[in-house]
Amino acid sequence: MRSMVEGGFHKRCTVGRTPSTTGFAGGPPPRRAGRICAGATPPFRAGPGARARLGSAATRGRRVADNGIAVSAEALVKRYGERRVVDGVDLVVPEGAIYGVLGPNGAGKTTTLRMLLGIIEPDSGKRRLLGSDAPRDVGDRVGYLPEERGLYPSMTAREAIAFMGALRGLEWRTGRARAAELLEAAGLGHAIDGKIRKLSKGMAQLVQLLGAVVHRPDLLVLDEPFSGLDPVNQERLEALIRAEQARGATILFSTHVMQHAQRLCDRLAIIARGQRRFEGTVDEARALLPQHVHYVPHRADPAIAALLPADARSDGEGWRFQLPPDGIEAVLTRLIAAGHGIAGLSIERPGLHEAFVRVVGEQEARA
Amino acid sequence: MTQLRRHLRQTLTIARRDFVATVFTPIFLLFLFAPLIMASFGAVGGMGAASASDSSAARTRLVVLLPAAKARRVLDADARWRPLLAGDSRQPQVEARAPAPDPARQAAAALAAGAHGHDTVDVAAVLYGPLDRPAVLYAAGSRGGARYLAGLARDAALAERAGTAPAAATLTAVQTSAPSQGVRKATGFFAVFGIFFLTLFLSGQVAGTMAEERNNKVIEVLAAAVPLESVFLGKLVGMFGVAVLFVTFWGVVISQLGALLPGDIGDSLRTLAPAVGGGWFALLFGGYFTMAYLLLGSVFLGVGAQAATMREIQMLSLPITIIQVAMFALSSAAVSHPGSWVAMLAELFPLSSPFAMAGRAASDSALWPHAAALAWQALWVAIFITVGARLFRRGVLQSGSPTPAWKRLFNRR
Repeated sequence: MRSMVEGGFHKRCTVGRTPSTTGFAGGPPPRRAGRICAGATPPFRAGPGARARLGSAATRGRRVADNGIAVSAEALVKRYGERRVVDGVDLVVPEGAIYGVLGPNGAGKTTTLRMLLGIIEPDSGKRRLLGSDAPRDVGDRVGYLPEERGLYPSMTAREAIAFMGALRGLEWRTGRARAAELLEAAGLGHAIDGKIRKLSKGMAQLVQLLGAVVHRPDLLVLDEPFSGLDPVNQERLEALIRAEQARGATILFSTHVMQHAQRLCDRLAIIARGQRRFEGTVDEARALLPQHVHYVPHRADPAIAALLPADARSDGEGWRFQLPPDGIEAVLTRLIAAGHGIAGLSIERPGLHEAFVRVVGEQEARA
Repeated sequence: MTQLRRHLRQTLTIARRDFVATVFTPIFLLFLFAPLIMASFGAVGGMGAASASDSSAARTRLVVLLPAAKARRVLDADARWRPLLAGDSRQPQVEARAPAPDPARQAAAALAAGAHGHDTVDVAAVLYGPLDRPAVLYAAGSRGGARYLAGLARDAALAERAGTAPAAATLTAVQTSAPSQGVRKATGFFAVFGIFFLTLFLSGQVAGTMAEERNNKVIEVLAAAVPLESVFLGKLVGMFGVAVLFVTFWGVVISQLGALLPGDIGDSLRTLAPAVGGGWFALLFGGYFTMAYLLLGSVFLGVGAQAATMREIQMLSLPITIIQVAMFALSSAAVSHPGSWVAMLAELFPLSSPFAMAGRAASDSALWPHAAALAWQALWVAIFITVGARLFRRGVLQSGSPTPAWKRLFNRR
C-alpha cells in the first residue's frame, strides 16, 4: 500500500527550532518556532539557528551535506529470504534537523538505519550520507547509538567513551578529556572511572550515548534511544539531542514512542511493513485527522442534536463532533440563537499518536 | 586522511583495546605462566616416572655365571661400554656369580627365583658357558639385556685372545665448511617444530575473541564505525601482540636461565646450522612465526566468529588442533624430503607454507624464495580476513539476501 498521505515536501517547510542555549544538562525545552509556508524550492529551509550551524560546520573544514540534505534514501530495499523487510523506502533528512523514523515493532526502522549507515547493504536503492554515496567514507562524521546497547563491561566509563571516539578518529587523549566533561555534564561525574559493569542499565546507556557524540559528529543516528530509560534519563536524553542540534548536528532517530517524536521532531517518517506511509512535519501528521469539538450547553436538551453536525454524539456532559470544514462559527451562532448558550467549548487537536495509529492502522500500531 | 591511514588507525584502535583487555587482567598471568605450570607438572611427573624406573632398574640384574677370571673380563668390558649407554639403552647392573655344575639349570633357576620373588632382585638375563660359545637365557621383554650380555661376552673373548684390553682410541674433532645433511634436517625440523609449538599454544585462542563483542553486543558499534575487515585485522594484531609479549617474556627468561636447560637440549641448539646463516635464520623464523600466527589466526577467527556461544567455540578447539597437527606433519615431511612434491605442496599450501619455508631455510641458502613466500602468505592472510569478515557480515549481521552466497562473498561490500 503505497498510496500515502504524504506531506508535500516541496510545498511546505518548517523552521527549525530555536537553538537551545541551555545545553544538555537541563533547562526548559525550546519552543517550536512555528511554521512558514513559502513553497520554497529547497526541501528544507533552515532557520537562523540552522544557518549558523552551517557556518559552524564549514569552519571545521568539513564538507557540508549536499543541498542542505544530510541523509537521503531512494527506494531502499532489503530482503531476508523472501521477506521484504524494507520495501522501497524513501527518506530525505534536512541538515540540522531532528528527524524521526516512526513505526511499529518490526516495521523495518532498524534495518533502514543500518542500511543508511552501511552496516548492511541494501539489495537495491540508493542512499547518500553527508554528501557521500559510501557511508563508511564519512564514518568519522557520524555518531550511532544502536538499538542493542553494547559496551565492554571491563572498561571504565571514560575509557569506553574515548574508545568510541577513537573508532571515529578522535585522539585518545582528547577523547578522555571530553569524556570527563560529558560525564560531568550528564550527572555521571561520580562514575567517570567506574567500570561499566557497575553502572545501572540506564547509566550505561547514557555512557554509550555520550560515546556516540564525543567526536562531535555532524550526523547523529539513534536507534530507539529512549527505550530502557527512566523518565529522568529520558529528559536528559531529550536535552542532549537538542544540545546536539544546537551544536549543528543533524539527528536521525527511530522510535515507536510518539511523545518523544512529537516533542523533538522537525520532520518525521512513518514506516510500516517496510514501506514509508507518511513523511512530513509533526503538524502535518496531526493534520491528517480532523479536529474535534467538545461543546457543553447551559442545560441538557435532546433538541440540541438537531442544531449540531450529524456526527455529534452526547457524552452525558456535553456533545462531541468533528470540527466542520467551514469552521465552528455557524454552529455556535445557531446554538446561541436557539438559547442553548455555551457553558464550555474546546477544540481538540489529535495528537501524533492518533495520527500514527491512523497512518499505520490500528492492528499494526498495536504490534 | 587517506583511506589506508584511516583503516590502519581503526585497526590499531581495535588492536589496542584487545591487547589491553587481555594483558591487564589477572587471568593473563595464569596464561603467561602456564608453561611454568606445565613444566612443573612435567618435572614432577618425570621425577616420579624416573624414580619408579630407577627403582625398577636398581632391582634388576644381568647375571654372569662364569669362573672368576672370565667374569672379571666381562665386568671390564661392561665398565668400558656402560658410559655410552643412555636413556632407553641403559642396561641393568651386571652381577657375576660362581657357576654351578649345571649352569643351564642354574640360569633357569636364577630367572625363576627373580620372577617368583624368591630373590631380592629381578634377573633379566643370565650368561653362561664358555666365552667363545656363550649362551644367554633371558626373561621375556629383556632381549636388549640378553644382547648386551652377548656383546660383553664377545668383547671379553676378544680381549682374552689378545691377552690385553683394547687401547682407547684418539678422538679428534674436524670442523666442516658446510653443515651435514643430517644437521640441516635437524635444523629444519627444529624450525618447523618451534613454530608449530608456539602457534599451537598461542593462535587457537584467537577463535574466541569475537565472542566478547557478540555477547556484549558491541559488535554493532564496531561495525557501524569500522569496516569489519579492520575489526578482524585489529583483533588479530591485538592477539598477536599478546603472543609476542608471551614469546618475548619466555625468550628472555630462557636466555637468562639457559643453564637450567637440560644439557642435551642446549647441545642440540648449539649444533643447529641453517643453510641461510644464523642471522637470516633467526629473522626468517620470526617472520614465519608471524605469518603462521596470522594465517592460522585469521582462519580460526573467521570460523570462531560464526560461533554463537562459548560452547560452540569450545567445540572448535579439536578441529583447530587437528589442522595445526596436520600442517606440522606436512611440513615435517617436507623437511625430510626437500625438493620433493610433498615439499612443494607444503611450501605452497597457505596454512603449511610458513612451517615448510622455515624448514627450507635450514637446507637451502637461497633467500629470494623466502621473500616470495612471505608475500604469498601475506596475501592469504588478507584473503582469509576478507572472507571471514564477509561471512560474518552476511551470517551474523543478518545482511542475507537472495543473491547466492558465493556471489555476495566477492561483492565489494
